[in-house]
Amino acid sequence: MHNIVLIAKREYLEQLRGKAFKVTTVLVPAIFAFVFFIAFLSGKNSGSGKHVVIAAQDAGLISSVKKLLLEDKDAKSVVDTVTVSSSQDKSALINMVDTKQIDGFLWIDKKADGSTTATYESQTAADLITSGRLRSALNHALEEQRLGQRGMSASEIETLLQRVEVDTQQIKNGKEVKSNAVSSFYSAYAMALLLTMTTMVYGLNVGRSVIQEKTSRIFEVMLATVKASDMLAGKLIGVGAVGLTQIAIWIAAALIFATTAFGAQLMTGNLDIHISWVQVVLFGVYFLLGYTLNSALFAGLGATLETEQELQQYSPLAAVPVWLSFSMMVLILSDPNSFWVVAASLFPPCTPIVMFLRMGSQMPPLWQIWLSIGLMLIAIVAVLWFSTRLYRIGILMYGKRATLPEILRWLRYS
Amino acid sequence: MPIVELAGVTKAYRDKVAVNQLSLSIEPGQMFGLLGPNGSGKTSSIRMMIGITVPDSGEIRLFDQPFDRKNLIRVGYLPEERGLYKKMKVLDQLIFMGGLHGLKASEAHERANRWAKRMEIDGSLSKKTEELSKGMQQKIQFIAALMHDPDLVIMDEPFSGLDPVNATLLQDTLLELKEQGKAILFSTHRMDQVEKLCDAIALIHRGNLVLGGKVREIKSRYKRDRVILEFDGSAKFLESAEIAEAKNYSGHAEIKLKEDGDAQKLLAEAASMATIYRFELVEPSLEEIFIQAVGGRADA
Repeated sequence: MHNIVLIAKREYLEQLRGKAFKVTTVLVPAIFAFVFFIAFLSGKNSGSGKHVVIAAQDAGLISSVKKLLLEDKDAKSVVDTVTVSSSQDKSALINMVDTKQIDGFLWIDKKADGSTTATYESQTAADLITSGRLRSALNHALEEQRLGQRGMSASEIETLLQRVEVDTQQIKNGKEVKSNAVSSFYSAYAMALLLTMTTMVYGLNVGRSVIQEKTSRIFEVMLATVKASDMLAGKLIGVGAVGLTQIAIWIAAALIFATTAFGAQLMTGNLDIHISWVQVVLFGVYFLLGYTLNSALFAGLGATLETEQELQQYSPLAAVPVWLSFSMMVLILSDPNSFWVVAASLFPPCTPIVMFLRMGSQMPPLWQIWLSIGLMLIAIVAVLWFSTRLYRIGILMYGKRATLPEILRWLRYS
Repeated sequence: MPIVELAGVTKAYRDKVAVNQLSLSIEPGQMFGLLGPNGSGKTSSIRMMIGITVPDSGEIRLFDQPFDRKNLIRVGYLPEERGLYKKMKVLDQLIFMGGLHGLKASEAHERANRWAKRMEIDGSLSKKTEELSKGMQQKIQFIAALMHDPDLVIMDEPFSGLDPVNATLLQDTLLELKEQGKAILFSTHRMDQVEKLCDAIALIHRGNLVLGGKVREIKSRYKRDRVILEFDGSAKFLESAEIAEAKNYSGHAEIKLKEDGDAQKLLAEAASMATIYRFELVEPSLEEIFIQAVGGRADA
């Protein structure tokens, strides 16, 4: 135990004093803040400020659509209108789009049988937000017009077509809690992303550290007094402690930030960031579990390799569970208790990420959290069993990368 | 009480036997040389002595007890593949290594300073290892292996890569430790060093013990059949029937006697023809003994 502590301490201090730790401690939150700020801004402003032309034969319909579009304050649209009579008018509009005088035009065509078709033509292939706004405005205007034609007064039509916003409330422990789907999603997403990055980065750090010790030939001196398993344990604890220190610094910085006026505004204002203490504790727990699983894997892998470049080639392996988890995101957010989502959150490599994404829409049942922790512990023991064996032999094999048959033989030997 | 005892130790890797039925023992205050060409099984034997690998068969005893890792704290080891933490400061590194051998930080600090002075690197303690020359790094490793005052010192090719000044410094240090009653084992493929320093040897070839025991006893087993003769006068005596082979460097002759050649007869013949200044019956060098023992094969 004495040696494990010594090795862990050495590893901890070396990494803590390194440039990488200082840089990532400052840069990661800065990059996160920047990315989310940009995402927030672009989400708020997307599809706004468009200059469109409404073109139809029916001047009344055109002005109704224009009025409705201008009512949408978020859109900040510039709307021009053209009453058209021939296809030549359309050529002129196409020319205006082509020369970028306007962003696009809505061509409304009323058929003789009373049906209406509409096309939005622009240089952007998939401007879903603008076309959505136009569709909504056009349908509303058509409904107004048809109801008017059936003899209804303007006030009757307004009452009839009054729009209703759907608000969201979450029920937690039988109580209604105001929820903001977007901010819950963003905070869970941010935590899942942070968890992914830290467990991956620190897992890779262990692999890199094993290779560095292997290339510097320090192992043999160490092995003369320390057992290989103690060396590995010390390394995992030391690097893990560095990760926890970094997370603790981030949490402390976030708490200090929350006390500032700007921070307080973010916590209660538009963004409405809510991260519970349970989430903070679970973040620590899942970090430790995810990190140990990854680092045990990379320690074993590192022992079979010769250079850091070779390790880099294998690093996408660690990203596989991340891809898997994020590819299920839509399902996780819409139906967090469906079979496949629960299964993914209990599958150890995916557990930390999927669990946090689930928390974005609903807190998973406690038994599932305990079960996921138990399963991760079992996976860690299994991976450590293999890795310790590879590590014990691999660290003394210099000169060439181990082949698969060699690795299998090492597992048998030890 | 032997400090190290190997009895019938065998280690094989797949189809290659690295060490075959090796037996040896090292006493306190003894300088022991493990000799053999590259790839003969020296490092494999050493690794088993300190528990890095486990023998397939046979027994290893350290400090008169069956092998037990807890005794490794009394061993100082310098591997052939030297290694240090490059980014770590020298003093921190030595304190860390001392800690692994059971020294408290303060004690390790004090000893590191003392050894650094002795090894003439005290000005480099606050530097990072990567800033030092290879020779300096070697010295740090000697200190790391010796600072916890081990009863058994095991060094794999300790002199390789050392300049003559530092080689002498290390040699003197080892001799001093020997005087203090420590058991010292070092491996080398340079027989001249062993001849100078060691009390006992084990000569290994392809994993097998070819020769073992006290250097004096081994040498006495081999006949003195070489003569160095310095003379003035006729060199006709070099055609004597006692001589198998002779080289004459104008007054300095190196002679190999025939198997039944008589040195005294040769001396009488030479004295009758020339004035003799030096007549020395030289014992065979370990290198010659080794070549004889393994049958003079090219790969020896």
